[in-house]
Amino acid sequence: MKYLSVVWAVARKDLLVEMRTLERLTAMGAFSVLIGVLFHFSIDTSLIRVQTIAPSLIWMATIFVGMLGLGRIYTIEDENRALSGLLQSPISLDALYFGKVLSNSILLLSIVVLILVVFAVFFNLSFPGGWLGWISLSGVILLGVLSFVSIMTLLSAVAVNNTMGESIIPVLVLPLLVPIVIHTVTATNRIFANRPFAEIEGNLRMLAAIVLIFLVAGASLFRFAIEE
Amino acid sequence: MNRSRMKKISMSFGILGVAAILLLHYMVFFWVPTELSMGIVQRIFYIHVPSWWVAFISFGVVALCSGVYLWLGDDRLDAAAVTAAEGGMIFTTIGLLTGPLWGKIAWGAWWTWEPRLTLALLLWFIYLGYFLVRRSTLNPERGKRLAAVVGIIGVLDIPLIHVSVSWLRSLHPEAVVLNPDGPTLDESMLATLLVGLLAYSLIFVCLFTVRYSTELVDRATQMQDV
Amino acid sequence: MIDFMKYLRLNRIGLVCLVIVVCCPAVALAQSGGAPLGSQTLGRAYWHVFVAYAIAWLLVAFWLAAISRRLGRVEGRVDHSVDD
Repeated sequence: MKYLSVVWAVARKDLLVEMRTLERLTAMGAFSVLIGVLFHFSIDTSLIRVQTIAPSLIWMATIFVGMLGLGRIYTIEDENRALSGLLQSPISLDALYFGKVLSNSILLLSIVVLILVVFAVFFNLSFPGGWLGWISLSGVILLGVLSFVSIMTLLSAVAVNNTMGESIIPVLVLPLLVPIVIHTVTATNRIFANRPFAEIEGNLRMLAAIVLIFLVAGASLFRFAIEE
Repeated sequence: MNRSRMKKISMSFGILGVAAILLLHYMVFFWVPTELSMGIVQRIFYIHVPSWWVAFISFGVVALCSGVYLWLGDDRLDAAAVTAAEGGMIFTTIGLLTGPLWGKIAWGAWWTWEPRLTLALLLWFIYLGYFLVRRSTLNPERGKRLAAVVGIIGVLDIPLIHVSVSWLRSLHPEAVVLNPDGPTLDESMLATLLVGLLAYSLIFVCLFTVRYSTELVDRATQMQDV
Repeated sequence: MIDFMKYLRLNRIGLVCLVIVVCCPAVALAQSGGAPLGSQTLGRAYWHVFVAYAIAWLLVAFWLAAISRRLGRVEGRVDHSVDD
């Protein structure tokens, strides 16, 4: 229980800082709406029925927003060298990692809700009818966001004390996101098309496996990435 | 292992590798029959597939050496990892360039965006990130650690490549050798492929040992200068 | 190791072998029948095979050259420290 309370303390600290400043949330929120606008103007709606590609647009927007907001995971600790203080504290580094994953997942999940609402309005989307569709959609979003955040939390540590800064993060992260994108978009497409749950189950299982792999790898490797 | 022994090993592998390459070219251009459906362009298969196998093996070496480097902190493991990563990049590049040359004739498109080919392209970028992280980190020792982290994470992409093929039912040919029902290649084609794999492996091991020993001497002389 | 690279550079047999294997794809025409090479038109597929094998060898040669250059630099540093 002590371990979990440490994880929650780290997450709570990050969320409190974010609630007080609202820097990342504002930028990510504004970006979500503006990217929807750009998508609208980049698609010829006389040739393409937007509803068929909406899941792809939703997940692309999520990834771009995530890159924008989560690339700065450790910059909140830049002031007064707070990161050094955190590393010297008696908490275990994997608890720090899980705390960061938790806080950033909560942040990104709230933005994904905004993206869904904005895109539903902009592109006249109709969501799945039954409760199973909604549960499946929630599962896909949760697993997709968790897998994305788990890998971003590990690799954002690379940008600390790096001459390339945050510009190295897309080069490192984007190749690893392809399996996540394949399964989240496929599953979301099938959910929006009201396909039976049996067709979505495989994608959910695969996403769960990806989450597990990335969380275990992230927790194991985090201390090598974050130590100075 | 001392330098003269390394020199003997690399020379032996080099000579055997060149001999295997000559045998491969004889088999490809004089012995193996032409494949019925794809014709002459199918002969690219005998360098395309071995280059991928060597690339994946070298990335496995990168991940293994990176993992043990993080555990033990032995600089020789980092030297082996960076050497294997260089070789991996070279052979991945060969695979990525020869694949479209084959695909354009066989399937009518330079690039098909099917998952396995795409993820192999992404593996190239992962290891580009490996080298970028090493070079751009201010503290060289931290750079080695971060590169090791990237190397380990990158190798996790390899099983996802293979699994993605079955998930999305891609255009890429089904695995003709690692098939649970047994290889589906003609015997002479299988023999030629195996010679290709042997030849590329021998060349890789030869160049790996030369590059690795150069890296060790380089680091030792840099330490002396410091 | 230093002697090995000099051995390779001096080994003309190795260089000749390299030239032969790069040019090998052209002999694939021997399998298509008895017509002389000059009167045949090299099809697109043959060009693809030739370019593919050439790319493979060029990239391996590139890595070899990079290793050779690095080795030269290390040699220089070793000689410099011995002189000191």
